[in-house]
Amino acid sequence: MTLPGTERGLTRTVERLARRDGIQAARNMLAKREIALGLRRPTLAVYDHAFQFIGGAQKYGLTMTAALGDMFDITLLANKEIKVADFKDWYGLDLSDCRVKIIKIPFFEARGGPHLDPAFVTRDIENPFHLVSRESGNYDVFVNNSMNEMVYPLAPVSVLICHFPERRPMSYFYADRYTRTVANSRYTAEWIGKKWGFAPHRLLYPPVDMEPGENGNAKKKIILSVARFEPEGFKRQREMIDAFLKLRRLRPEAVGDWRFVLAGGSQVKNAYLDRLREMIADSGGAVELYVNLPAADLKALYRDASIFWHMCGLNREDPGETEHFGMTAVEAMQNELVPVVYDGGGLPEIVDHGVNGFRVKSTAELIQRTLDLLAGPGRIAALGKAARDKARAFARSNFETTARSIFDEVLALLKAPEDPAAE
Amino acid sequence: MNKLEEEIQRLRQELDRKKEELTDLRKLVGKDVDREFPPAVEGMSDRELEIYLRDTIPLINSFVETKPDLRALKSHRKVFGRPVLAFKRAMLETTVRPLEEFIERQVKFNRQAAVLLQALHQRSGRYAARIKDLEEKIAGCEEDLALLKSDAGKK
Repeated sequence: MTLPGTERGLTRTVERLARRDGIQAARNMLAKREIALGLRRPTLAVYDHAFQFIGGAQKYGLTMTAALGDMFDITLLANKEIKVADFKDWYGLDLSDCRVKIIKIPFFEARGGPHLDPAFVTRDIENPFHLVSRESGNYDVFVNNSMNEMVYPLAPVSVLICHFPERRPMSYFYADRYTRTVANSRYTAEWIGKKWGFAPHRLLYPPVDMEPGENGNAKKKIILSVARFEPEGFKRQREMIDAFLKLRRLRPEAVGDWRFVLAGGSQVKNAYLDRLREMIADSGGAVELYVNLPAADLKALYRDASIFWHMCGLNREDPGETEHFGMTAVEAMQNELVPVVYDGGGLPEIVDHGVNGFRVKSTAELIQRTLDLLAGPGRIAALGKAARDKARAFARSNFETTARSIFDEVLALLKAPEDPAAE
Repeated sequence: MNKLEEEIQRLRQELDRKKEELTDLRKLVGKDVDREFPPAVEGMSDRELEIYLRDTIPLINSFVETKPDLRALKSHRKVFGRPVLAFKRAMLETTVRPLEEFIERQVKFNRQAAVLLQALHQRSGRYAARIKDLEEKIAGCEEDLALLKSDAGKK
């Protein structure tokens, strides 16, 4: 860095940069110099247009934020009202030191409703997310945790957390404008390459913290499924219920008193869920369905169950309709459930076939593997222990360590000399 | 606070003030931020292709009639509007007339192509539904086979 020895030198550099590359570039240069000289603590903003909802991606972004509290002055950017206290209730995260800034977007305010869907934004209208783009330039580091690459990053250093590249490059696409991109799984990283044409810089698996309490695992004859009841049926609960009912009907001696329990979140009106309820009406209690369970009850289900089914991705060829990672599979494994999961998406990164569970390509294989497990309870216990060992790799403590190392790199970039050409 | 720090603070305040005045992001960064991306049809999934076709077919239909419409010509000039319009019409008629036969053939082709595209889209939708149906039947057969294999294994 050709540090101007005098104030006049600095002024000249800033004015030249503002003329050549715009006001923001000059402002960024000054911000970097302030940090390099140790004049103040670096600031960081974390943006998510869905912070107001409980979700895996939001938990990911906020757990990361909580791990960075001693490195940055942090602001949470949202488009709808949020309360930091809610994050304590939802995810057990204390973010009381973070500031909150709400940037209302008139385009979505006019549409109404709690959800902002970037898919409504076409090239025919001005990019409504540029309000967030502008705000991003007021921080040293801007982190975009949204599934929304329509925000143009203006901060000196920017990080895009990609949970999956839903869109291909089209109108208002700026994913490749971020200084760093972080992917939540190798599967996501692979599709960033295929859809966006570049490789993410780092991999950061989601934090999973569903370890059993001190009471341990009192295993019962329960096959468990935990997944949102998506109205489109992406999580394949219908197919799993069909398979279990068939198994029970045709091989009652093998199934015995095993039950199939499905738990997951759902919106109030959900025709798919209604259909599932009809399907299980005649099962005599062998299939149970729990919607929007409190965390403690879900934990109890994990504690009690022995086998975990997850078939998201079955018969789908669109990569977005397959599990991008599979947090509930890890939660199950932490509780010594044997996972029998669909062999696609991010799930092969979690389950090693035959070592700590099984990966299957069809409901026929699901039935086959389950019958094998039901025939040998000893195998369930052994595989469950192996599953618990594998799941340790995805513990929150590992997530926090990796997140901090990513942001150590970010800080180094922030403190690095500016491009000499700018001087 | 030393002089360098004071100068940094002063410059920053000045830049913040200027930033507030600029509403256009392009001016803030001194360049155009948007780019055009051609649709990458080759790598699209069935779902993406379906969305692409749903959006594109109406667009193509809107371009079927390529024959210039002389009545659509307008002039906003108050004084010379009529003569300018007459001149425009005369020019267009002179250039279009010799090409009329070709334009007619092009329009016919466009209409046929639009109908053909619609038909192919419909057929691919029916095929998709049939494949889904067959896949479910095959899955049922595979499940039965898995149960039989399991029984055979026990014996």
